[in-house]
Amino acid sequence: MRTDGARRRPEPGTIAVIVAVGGFVLLQALMWLGVLNPYWQQVLNLAGITLISALGLNLIYGYTGQFSLGHAAFYGVGAYASALLTRSLGPGAGTLLLGIVAGAALAALVAFLIGLPILRLRSDYLAIATLGFGIIMKVLLDNSDAVIPMMGGSSGMSGIARLTTFPWVFAFGLAAVLVMRNLVFSSVGRALVSVREDELAAEAVGIDTTRYKTLGFVIGCGYAGVAGALYAHLYAYLNPFSFDFLKSIDVLLVVVLGGLGSISGTLVAAIAWTFLLEGLRVALPASVQDWRMVIYPLVMIVFMLFRPGGIFARTEFGFLKPRARRGKE
Amino acid sequence: MSALLDVTGLLMRFGGLVAVRDFALQVDEHELVGLIGPNGAGKTTVFNAITGMYRPTAGSIRFRGREIAGLKPHRVYQLGVARTFQNIRLFRELTVLDNVRVADHHRGEAGVLHSVLRTPKFRNEERRLADRARELLAVMGLEQRESEYARNLPYGEQRRLEIARALVSDPKLLLLDEPAAGMNPYEVGQLMELIQFVRERFRLTVLLIEHQMRVVMGVCQRVLVMEFGEKIAEGRPEEIRANPKVIEAYLGTSEG
Repeated sequence: MRTDGARRRPEPGTIAVIVAVGGFVLLQALMWLGVLNPYWQQVLNLAGITLISALGLNLIYGYTGQFSLGHAAFYGVGAYASALLTRSLGPGAGTLLLGIVAGAALAALVAFLIGLPILRLRSDYLAIATLGFGIIMKVLLDNSDAVIPMMGGSSGMSGIARLTTFPWVFAFGLAAVLVMRNLVFSSVGRALVSVREDELAAEAVGIDTTRYKTLGFVIGCGYAGVAGALYAHLYAYLNPFSFDFLKSIDVLLVVVLGGLGSISGTLVAAIAWTFLLEGLRVALPASVQDWRMVIYPLVMIVFMLFRPGGIFARTEFGFLKPRARRGKE
Repeated sequence: MSALLDVTGLLMRFGGLVAVRDFALQVDEHELVGLIGPNGAGKTTVFNAITGMYRPTAGSIRFRGREIAGLKPHRVYQLGVARTFQNIRLFRELTVLDNVRVADHHRGEAGVLHSVLRTPKFRNEERRLADRARELLAVMGLEQRESEYARNLPYGEQRRLEIARALVSDPKLLLLDEPAAGMNPYEVGQLMELIQFVRERFRLTVLLIEHQMRVVMGVCQRVLVMEFGEKIAEGRPEEIRANPKVIEAYLGTSEG
């Protein structure tokens, strides 16, 4: 009974996958030919990981409108959980996959336990609760060696296998984008956005706002868990400092710069931001390295003044949008 | 008791302030009842109590025989009570179509997994949601506006969109909170026709808060008058118009 048979065009999602696979082959070739040296490969991997984590925060803040200040703590949960798992089970592709799943699941579970009582309230409370959670996590990680010596406490956890390679990051990054796109452009996604737009009105049209706030928060933190697991096996070393409050702000910056409620924005900003950070490290002479920390806030201020909606301001690349409605236009 | 909505002994207290006291209201199926009174009389508070926005301090609210006092707003809505707001509350950054179909979301069954995997079940449901929402937009004369952001609509269309949103999931009872506020006389006339029309078309029961006497007297079969949180009169529009208590409390000042 489908009446739209005549206008069957390729799904934008299909185009996205084709573009992505093309990009992947190109990047792999560049690495293989030695154009991209290991240092920049590492940066590229980090960009992909940042993308996954930032997509999660965008779902929480940009789409559902819940302000979280503890995203890096959930990233840390994923990182440490997966690292413990691969160290215990021995390195391998299978254990890495298991580690990623476990890291995501644990981060999501913790988010559920924190979110359930807090998300009944208005969004400001979530910011305070997640800020508190971030601080608690940092303290726990600093003293983790007292309970689990393998975690290394404040001196960091080492001995993690280097299992994260570009294909891993790419596959998970691509999946993260597609899953997010399908989620956002669905009835569930619209329910999430309705909570952001007007919580009271959302309740008044049958949306269980507590449930959807929790859903967005849990999935978003699950994304952080995946990113953390990939991160742990990229650098093979974890330090509690990598998951403190400032790191949460970093992710927030990417989301806001890219544009709240825009997948394309997060995609562009995560990659641009990571490369800018590292690019400045290489480009600037040693004597002005410290100025890097001045440049970031400046970028932020300039953006907030001239483009408060971020780079994409709630728009999307064509290939990230669902098929045009009704097929006309 | 066959009343669709049966409110008895409603008390709403906020700290030391009693906003509504010993309030009773029965609305029968397919009736159109008006609720009037001066500012601060407690009309919107009654709406908020019925729709679950407030938990009554005391009293009972039965809808189709079922106690709904203290239920969460989304539950009340899912049982068939929809409302609009005095100060229009649309999802401003969602399109017109999305505003309407999100209000039907609760009847859907395709959750996160179906959405992410774009299963046939998901696609069928999306089609059903869109079709249903477009049906309502057509009734409200908004079908040409579906891709616009709600915030970009002119005021009168925003009002109509809010009503479309309230009707999309087949409510039994519709609560309209000052739908004519801010409208010019021509728009008010259209609105009155619209209220009559949707009431017939969707077999609705309507409870209406309104300040404009023209609307209340023109469309309501029965009118309740509130003052200082209490009901001071109830009856057919012409009876209300002649009631000295009402004239003193309200009509005398506003109708001249």
